[in-house]
Amino acid sequence: MSDVTLYHWEPNANSGKPMLALMEKGVAFDSHYLDLLNFDQHKPEYLAINLQGTIPAMRHGNRVLTESTAIMEYVNEAFTGPPLMPERPRDRWRVRWWMKFMDQWLAPSFSMIGWNVFVGPAVRSKDPDELKAAIERIPLPERRTAWRKAIYGLFSEEELKESQRRVAVGIRMLEAALGEREWLASDRYSLADVNGFNLGYALPLSQPKLSNDDLTPNILRWLRAIYARPTTKACWAMGRTAMVKRVAILEQEHIGREQVT
Amino acid sequence: MSMTVYHGEPNGPSFTVLAALFEKGVDAALVHVDLAKGQRHNLAFAQQAEVAMSVEGEGPVVVVDGEGMTDSVFIACYLDDVGSGSTLRPADPFARWEMMAWCRQLIERTAPAAAYLGLSAQPPTGDAATLAKIGSEDLRARWQEAAAGLNTEDRLADSKMKIAQAVNKIEAQLDGREWLMGEFSIADLESYAWLAGMVELLPSAFAERPRTADWMHRVRKRPAVAKALSLARQPAPAACWAPGPEINRWG
Repeated sequence: MSDVTLYHWEPNANSGKPMLALMEKGVAFDSHYLDLLNFDQHKPEYLAINLQGTIPAMRHGNRVLTESTAIMEYVNEAFTGPPLMPERPRDRWRVRWWMKFMDQWLAPSFSMIGWNVFVGPAVRSKDPDELKAAIERIPLPERRTAWRKAIYGLFSEEELKESQRRVAVGIRMLEAALGEREWLASDRYSLADVNGFNLGYALPLSQPKLSNDDLTPNILRWLRAIYARPTTKACWAMGRTAMVKRVAILEQEHIGREQVT
Repeated sequence: MSMTVYHGEPNGPSFTVLAALFEKGVDAALVHVDLAKGQRHNLAFAQQAEVAMSVEGEGPVVVVDGEGMTDSVFIACYLDDVGSGSTLRPADPFARWEMMAWCRQLIERTAPAAAYLGLSAQPPTGDAATLAKIGSEDLRARWQEAAAGLNTEDRLADSKMKIAQAVNKIEAQLDGREWLMGEFSIADLESYAWLAGMVELLPSAFAERPRTADWMHRVRKRPAVAKALSLARQPAPAACWAPGPEINRWG
């Protein structure tokens, strides 16, 4: 038994960030899988760990940490193993800038689209009363609104259009940054790449018209380089859903603009 | 290495960055920019992605070797790395996590609420030619909304609630402590930066919060903070706001 327990869903978005960071650092952890689609994160057993009912959370000894990006910085500092932050102060600033940009601006747009096409439909078939009760149990009001919209398909056309606009802008920005540098925020693999891979691992499938080897060669080079790391493979093998298995798209040597529809 | 700090009135993100700069004794040229008139968008590096697309919106920009840095908490971390004197972050990784998570929640919940209330009381006045240069479409939309007057009832109510919650959290955190993280840190600067202007706008949130009032007084008494505040050009810098962080789009 390890003194680190990670409470997480799939290697995807927020859950995948500390999963991959821990594995990159070579830290053994007990995996406690919470099924987001079964609302495990709002059940009393988990609320006893994290009152806000957000995933992921990490227990280290007798302390509990939340906020996936802040957890990653902790993991990098608290454990030995390869450093996941660059040496130069300005590079560190850039890592943090990109993580915040993804966490607060780009990822919410990706996830609104993802919740609309994946999470919402996946839970919609459950018993209506059960769903209603499940929504009422959500501690944070923002999350309650998000779930209500996802479950009942209430995202407005305007909201989804704005999310799609942001996704297009974000993809252009990632492509430009990765055209300047080998890795997203500096010339070494860092937490920004861990964060970015969780956001973009299925990009050529989810946004085929915006991201492929013809249009965004640097993004594809970057995603494949991260996927080639044994830790990434091991981490994504922990996934249980079809959503996460989409990562296999990166095994294709060339994904042209005509190849995916 | 030469550093230039382009900053607005010492409130919000400009407050954090100026105070951190002086706390750490970092040498920099200071350039005052009227953020509430959108003047940042006239600067040479305004279109650099990390400047144009900063989640913080109209904040200060620190330029080193031609690269513009934005987002006050991360600039403060940078200044903590390159400057001298006592550290602005706890050394212990757990305490450091606590500080970063504190700032993160503040940026996500408190800052958009403070900016909404501040701008609703004092709408910004950017001219059309300057605003046309804004690289971020959604930031431009926030400018237009703010200039037209922010008075949506539920947004005002929600913002007031979030400020009250932040003050309650600070009051609880200061139980037996002089500073939010024990030792003085970036969390004190960033929390003060967004809340100082709320005392006047939302006095009810600060009523019977003696620890918060004492803490704000202690922050102001720090020489670096006093120096930052002395750079004000307006009589009440804490009433100066520019369109910044957006309210969570998910609701």
